[in-house]
Amino acid sequence: MKFFTPFRKKSPWVLHYNAGSCNGCDIEILASLAPKYDLERFGVINTGNPKQSDIFLVTGPVTYRSRERLVELYSQIPEPKVVVAVGSCTATGGVFRGMYNVEDGIDRYIPVDVYVPGCAASPQLIIDALVKGLEVLEAKSKEIEKPFKLFGAIETIHNKLSRLNMATKVEPHAKD
Amino acid sequence: MIWVWIALAPILGGLVYGGERVLRARMQRRQGPPILQPFYDMFKLLDKRTLIVHAPHALLAVAHFFVLWFSVAAIFLGWNLLYIIFLHLFAQLLLILAGYSVRSVYSHIGSNRELLMVVAYEPILILVAVGLYLVSGSFEVSQILKSGGYLTQLPLLFAALLMIVPIKVKKSPFDVGEAHQEIVGGVEIEYSGVFYEFLYMSRFLEYIFIYSFIYLFGGESHWLGALLVAGVFLLVNLVDNATARVRPAQMVKIIYTVAMALAVFNLAGVLL
Repeated sequence: MKFFTPFRKKSPWVLHYNAGSCNGCDIEILASLAPKYDLERFGVINTGNPKQSDIFLVTGPVTYRSRERLVELYSQIPEPKVVVAVGSCTATGGVFRGMYNVEDGIDRYIPVDVYVPGCAASPQLIIDALVKGLEVLEAKSKEIEKPFKLFGAIETIHNKLSRLNMATKVEPHAKD
Repeated sequence: MIWVWIALAPILGGLVYGGERVLRARMQRRQGPPILQPFYDMFKLLDKRTLIVHAPHALLAVAHFFVLWFSVAAIFLGWNLLYIIFLHLFAQLLLILAGYSVRSVYSHIGSNRELLMVVAYEPILILVAVGLYLVSGSFEVSQILKSGGYLTQLPLLFAALLMIVPIKVKKSPFDVGEAHQEIVGGVEIEYSGVFYEFLYMSRFLEYIFIYSFIYLFGGESHWLGALLVAGVFLLVNLVDNATARVRPAQMVKIIYTVAMALAVFNLAGVLL
């Protein structure tokens, strides 16, 4: 509904996921939630539950072990949603780029709305990125957004959309 | 007039919750969210897509909210205190059933803990009702509010009630039911959008419910009642900021040894 749209940017609830990061960016995210930088003044709550989140904060270059979970979490967040890639690794692969066990950045798997540079990204930049993400969030429609890879199917069962098979597993022994 | 207050009860509770978030932020030297933040959250949740696991699961949350609202309305209308307590228990059981009706393990753990919380605070609530009956001679809330002197005759019972307030409003050290990131909200985990909003609003009603028990100890003096509520509100938030979470078994043990002993001791003193 049009009336409720302005309230999206007043209460962004955050889901934080570590896709194989070195923990540097995670500490900075926690720092920006803690009393000194106080993200809660924008109404941010770190929910830890994808079904109640609006903003997906991802850190890390997506290791092979974490990609299924990344897509699974992404497809469990109800629309409208925004993905913020925190840190150089998440944006491009960073120092891990080209390694045998990482994908270079999360935008191979899911659509990203805001990139945050830095190794590690500073709390000020993370706050800026969240505020930028709120603009994107307000402009978004409630269309279902799909991941680029590991996307299964959105089926219709009894006139209801089912997301049960939206995220798939990586095929075993795939030569990629 | 009283019907207007009953209709506004969730909004009143929302203001209390918003004020509490600001208060807790100030205690931690933060700026904190705006005081109307719970309502922003509610409007935003209306604008989200809703994921439903299965229909009874979603409807149980709605039922939980309305039964809770009914029990708060019963307090405002001055009905029987025992009736109010059991109505509230019924609302909790609906929530526990909802938690068990999905396959999520966290939801089951949340339901288990919710049950343990009911086991811990329910005897104390009933003992509080019995204590108020022994002094005022009636279980009716309207009759209880017509006499006074509860605080002088039931100080230990009031202390016992004070101990179960953090369980009911889910504050440290007894916040095992939701436990932030530990079990990801417990029974709330599988809810989203509109149906999560009902659980979010029922939290506001819990505030009204438990703080009106505190208010009853003021008796005929409204000022004393309001003062007690404000004092307990500050104390609960101070304790929340200063303590860590205890384990569920420890919570039951603490309540059953300390709070139960206080309550029984006081009741025995009144009876003898």
